[in-house]
Amino acid sequence: MALIDKMEEQLRPPEEFVNVEYPAKYITLATGEKMVIRQISREECPIALEAVKPLMDVERDFYDIVAVRMYAEILGYMRYRVKDEYVFLGTINGEIVGIVNGRSVNAQLGMSYHTIAIRQGLRLGAQLFAAKMEYHFDFLNQDEVLIVAESPNGFKRWMIEYELESRPEVWHELGGVPTYVLTRALWEKHKPVKCTGRRPVPEELLAANIPARLPGAYAQKK
Amino acid sequence: MREVGIVGVGHTKFGRWNGSFLDQAATAAVEALRDAGVDLAAGKAHIDQVFLASMGVGQVNKISGAASALVDTINLRPAMAETVENGPASGASAVKLAYMAIASGMADTVLVVGAEQMRILTGWESTDFVATMSHPDAEYPYGLTLPSFAGMFTRLYMEKYGLTETDLAIVSVKNHENAMHNPCAHIRLVPSLHAITEDEDADVINPYVADPIRVYSTCPMSDGAAALVLTALDTGREFAHKPVRIAGIGQATDTHVVAERPDPLDLFAVRESARKAYEMAGMGPEDIDVAELHDAFQILEIVESEEVGFFPRGEGAKAAREGRTRVDGDKPINTSGGLKAKGHPVGATGVSQVVEIVRQLRGEAEGRQVKDAQTGLTTNFGGFGNNVVSIILTTKEEG
Amino acid sequence: MMELYAYRCDACGELHHPRHFVCRKCGNTEFTEEVLNGKVRVLSWTKVYNLPEGYMQPYLCFAIVKFEDSGLIVSVQINDDKPYIGQEADAAVGVVKEAIGKDFYGFIVEPIAV
Repeated sequence: MALIDKMEEQLRPPEEFVNVEYPAKYITLATGEKMVIRQISREECPIALEAVKPLMDVERDFYDIVAVRMYAEILGYMRYRVKDEYVFLGTINGEIVGIVNGRSVNAQLGMSYHTIAIRQGLRLGAQLFAAKMEYHFDFLNQDEVLIVAESPNGFKRWMIEYELESRPEVWHELGGVPTYVLTRALWEKHKPVKCTGRRPVPEELLAANIPARLPGAYAQKK
Repeated sequence: MREVGIVGVGHTKFGRWNGSFLDQAATAAVEALRDAGVDLAAGKAHIDQVFLASMGVGQVNKISGAASALVDTINLRPAMAETVENGPASGASAVKLAYMAIASGMADTVLVVGAEQMRILTGWESTDFVATMSHPDAEYPYGLTLPSFAGMFTRLYMEKYGLTETDLAIVSVKNHENAMHNPCAHIRLVPSLHAITEDEDADVINPYVADPIRVYSTCPMSDGAAALVLTALDTGREFAHKPVRIAGIGQATDTHVVAERPDPLDLFAVRESARKAYEMAGMGPEDIDVAELHDAFQILEIVESEEVGFFPRGEGAKAAREGRTRVDGDKPINTSGGLKAKGHPVGATGVSQVVEIVRQLRGEAEGRQVKDAQTGLTTNFGGFGNNVVSIILTTKEEG
Repeated sequence: MMELYAYRCDACGELHHPRHFVCRKCGNTEFTEEVLNGKVRVLSWTKVYNLPEGYMQPYLCFAIVKFEDSGLIVSVQINDDKPYIGQEADAAVGVVKEAIGKDFYGFIVEPIAV
């Protein structure tokens, strides 16, 4: 690691509450393709940034706001400016098909940031979102996750399908819409029909997915 | 009665249309007119009547009298024009009305356009939009939707005939495979039968929409437009294509309230519309070389294939399992990809089905062509079977 | 308590639900309302996950049920996560759709514990 000067040291947040790595898993999609979901380190952030960039000007379905914010969040993580953040990639044969991120507020509380499905039509977003909830509840052992939605699709997918509790008195870092909460009880209720995948990822499959590649095409851009 | 044939077809790429409703309708219309060799210059098109089929142009796009706008933007004034709304059967209804207009002598050449824009709505808005075709007191306010009825219907059919979720998936995979050869299809991926039925992840990646119906046994929400040029065969007017003759059209209604049907598994209007179309054509199910059946849910393709007389009651799924409904089978169904994979822009669907049959009968269905296809059937299903139109097209001479 | 009705034809006695303008049997247009309630039996059911706009819940169960007394068959909401064909239920009436200023009442049948 490069030498860090004293000032930079002052600027970096301590890492406290994302002390468990998310173990990679894979899901067989409807096409029979295998999507690998894995946590990435700072070294892999540049390609994740490149992958969201083309969506920054897609107004439809709020891709622009989600892409711009996710870009800033991943950059913040990469340059040590967000505390306790994590980023997961979804890849098929190494190609990035979706990205999710979030962070830990404290040992008991998680905060969901954003979910982007780059490849459409295979319900990848739902799988990636479920993976980060799995991380908060089953690996970080947190009690609750704060969630907001920025699009009607997000609202339908998360708030309604997971029956999230409304908690408008708590402010989510993303601001804007009122906060909702996924509690452990709700997670346990919905997990069987929302969360799937297998571990460990066979070595060969994992090798085919590292390093990650940029998406070939963006249907959203058409 | 005058004979009527189809001399022009047009079809947008189904899926998402990034433009206005009228542009989408006009795109299909102009393609059909050009396909027929019609001159679009002012006063030279000689189109007497335009029917624009759409379920949602008023409700969703907030355009009333849309046919007038269409006629103007594609320069067909002073043609007669009407918008036709008959739920998801709007398209085939418009074809029927065009036939009536020509057969009666009121018109010689008619343009039919079916168009729908569903993806400007969120998923739950479009679910609500489609549900407005259910009974306004006894069904719609309950939150009952078309998938709800299809789910309850499928469960009963499973109980009675031993149908499985895998049977539905087999039909789905076949239609997705067909759609890969249709450049106008909405969904361009082929699900793996194993992945959507038996795989460990199957329950989550192919979740229930309306138990026992899953995502991969129901159609998507699509934008899309399709168009036809119909003409009288006795005018001597020359077109760029040899006409595909409309041999028969049948339509029937059933109880609007699904629960009021004496036999809940009986799709009477499908059977009756097909019977009337066969009778008018002087044909029977054995004459049909290729069919487009309204598979908004895969169960419907199976049951319609029985109701139109292709297979005995309860044996539609068996026929699909045996590959008889594949492009190379003896009764190919939904070579276009069907509503499942080609997409289902509701008001456009009935027109789109006829476009596919015309392409098959012209021998233009590249990659999915049914060998020596001479006669085809379309069944366009409105409501949950409360208003159904069947059409028979042929290249055979009359009699 | 809200009640829902069946409509008996004044001429031939045929029962209808919902209301028809013309009797489906004899063509008469006069009907008398009768309270429609009692025991029903589930003929088919579904659990629906893609609900239309206005329903803020992840799923709802629906059923087609037959009234034991009158034989009328209607579509209803059923207050059970896992209904089954042949299940017995009571035809309760409740708000099936909430709308500002105009809630809509319909059958929400309550399964009878076996």
